[in-house]
Amino acid sequence: MSHTQLRAHPLGDTAVTITFGAVRSAELLFRVHSAARALKAANIPHVEDIVPAYLALTVFYDPLGTSYEEVSRKLLDACDRVAHSTPKPAPSREHRIPVKYDGIDLEAVAASAGLSVEDVVASHSSRIYTVDLLGFVPGFAYLSELDAALQLPRRAQPRPRIAAGSVGIAAAQTAVYPLDTPGGWHIIGRTQTVMFDPTRDAPALLAPGDTVRFERIP
Amino acid sequence: MITITRAPPYITVQNGGRQHSRSLGVPRGGAMDLFALRAVNAVVGNSLDAAALEWALGGGAVRFDRDCFFAVGGATARATVSGKDVAPCTTTFARAGDELLVEQIISGRFLYLACDGGIDVPALLGSRSTYLPGHFGGYEGRMLRSGDSVQLGARPSTHPAEGFHAAADLMPRYDSGIVHVTPGTQDDLFDESAMRSLTESEYRISAASDRTGYKLDGPVLANSLGTLASEAGCPGAIQVPGDGLPIALMADAPTIGGYPKIAVVSEADLPILAQRRPGESIRFQLITIDQSHRALKRRLADVHAISRHASRS
Repeated sequence: MSHTQLRAHPLGDTAVTITFGAVRSAELLFRVHSAARALKAANIPHVEDIVPAYLALTVFYDPLGTSYEEVSRKLLDACDRVAHSTPKPAPSREHRIPVKYDGIDLEAVAASAGLSVEDVVASHSSRIYTVDLLGFVPGFAYLSELDAALQLPRRAQPRPRIAAGSVGIAAAQTAVYPLDTPGGWHIIGRTQTVMFDPTRDAPALLAPGDTVRFERIP
Repeated sequence: MITITRAPPYITVQNGGRQHSRSLGVPRGGAMDLFALRAVNAVVGNSLDAAALEWALGGGAVRFDRDCFFAVGGATARATVSGKDVAPCTTTFARAGDELLVEQIISGRFLYLACDGGIDVPALLGSRSTYLPGHFGGYEGRMLRSGDSVQLGARPSTHPAEGFHAAADLMPRYDSGIVHVTPGTQDDLFDESAMRSLTESEYRISAASDRTGYKLDGPVLANSLGTLASEAGCPGAIQVPGDGLPIALMADAPTIGGYPKIAVVSEADLPILAQRRPGESIRFQLITIDQSHRALKRRLADVHAISRHASRS
């Protein structure tokens, strides 16, 4: 079977990263998530975990049960079959997350963008965002896509501690910090919504493909 | 049950870690030195990945509230029960009421205490490990404090004879400071000189090192790309941020990240890296994935051998 565009590379001796392309796009991300779902459903022996990302997915396997060659060939074949099918989107949910827009960087963001604070808040809270993927820390969801006027590079110096519930922006994305963590995003607001609770049936509030609206609260 | 009678500065419940929740952003976590965790579990007759206590600096005291076969291992620290020294990785018996005193760790970094039956805290996302940044897992998601008591599981039906100890030749060569690596997912973004620098120089563990990652001091590794689209990393992945100084990701590292990865530490040698202290040096040696798998199988065979010898003792 030909694996056009797909490329497998070992990530150490317990994982394989399969790269789907070199340029980020919604279409490529959809292919990655479709393949991740198909691999999960295929229940390939010795596969322990599947981690989708923007250009690639990574599969963790048990090296006592299989070799890198064997597992990567099976994974490439399975991903290739998905590439030649027309996968359906996963069922998605709509979320509304109330936000108090009083973040420490709100004024600086407005100044950098040449907008008023009011404009920044109106822009951020008027769009519908899609969950690209989860990662970094538990329940951290990368949401796209921020209005072009608000897109700024991350802060040069990350802060040692961003409080849980902080709503940040960086480049084309926005996110809610699910827990206290160091972070380099510009903080524009905060929410009381619990993004991650390991005791819930679905610990992460958001899943890839879900949509999110931020609702301004006083 | 065991009770922390005098809390050390850093002690958590850890086991084999979480293997199935990375897509939610949950890191593997678990013991920093999986070999030591498994060795102390083997020596008391537990399943190898049972939950144990992990010290980072040593110190403190623990009271056994029931008769208990226990073992300490990993980093080296003087430990005593009723004034008698406790030998490392050795099946030791304590009566209900006995207290284990642990002094400062003098070599290595992470010390483990396994008790027969294992630490019985609720499993979350398939593991009893503490994930401190998320305030979950282990004992109420936090370090243990003076006065905390943790339950032990049911004792195994058989246990190794008192005084059984793991043979030294079955332990990793912690002192060698040699850590094997395989090429990383973006090794092609680094020129040959970068890989040569990584594998032919000494790197020192910097003070900026914890359960999330070890920043390494040594020759700067030039790379052309800066930040990439985020993708999965793993414990042992050696990522290179813009300043060119590598960071080895450890147990609690973020599940995905955007820095290029030049190499990944062999799972078999991750314990050797984990036990290096700030200021100590390591050397990386490049091997193939097949060699790395063979090394891991040997390492696991060694721990199973300890388990087998223990059960016949």
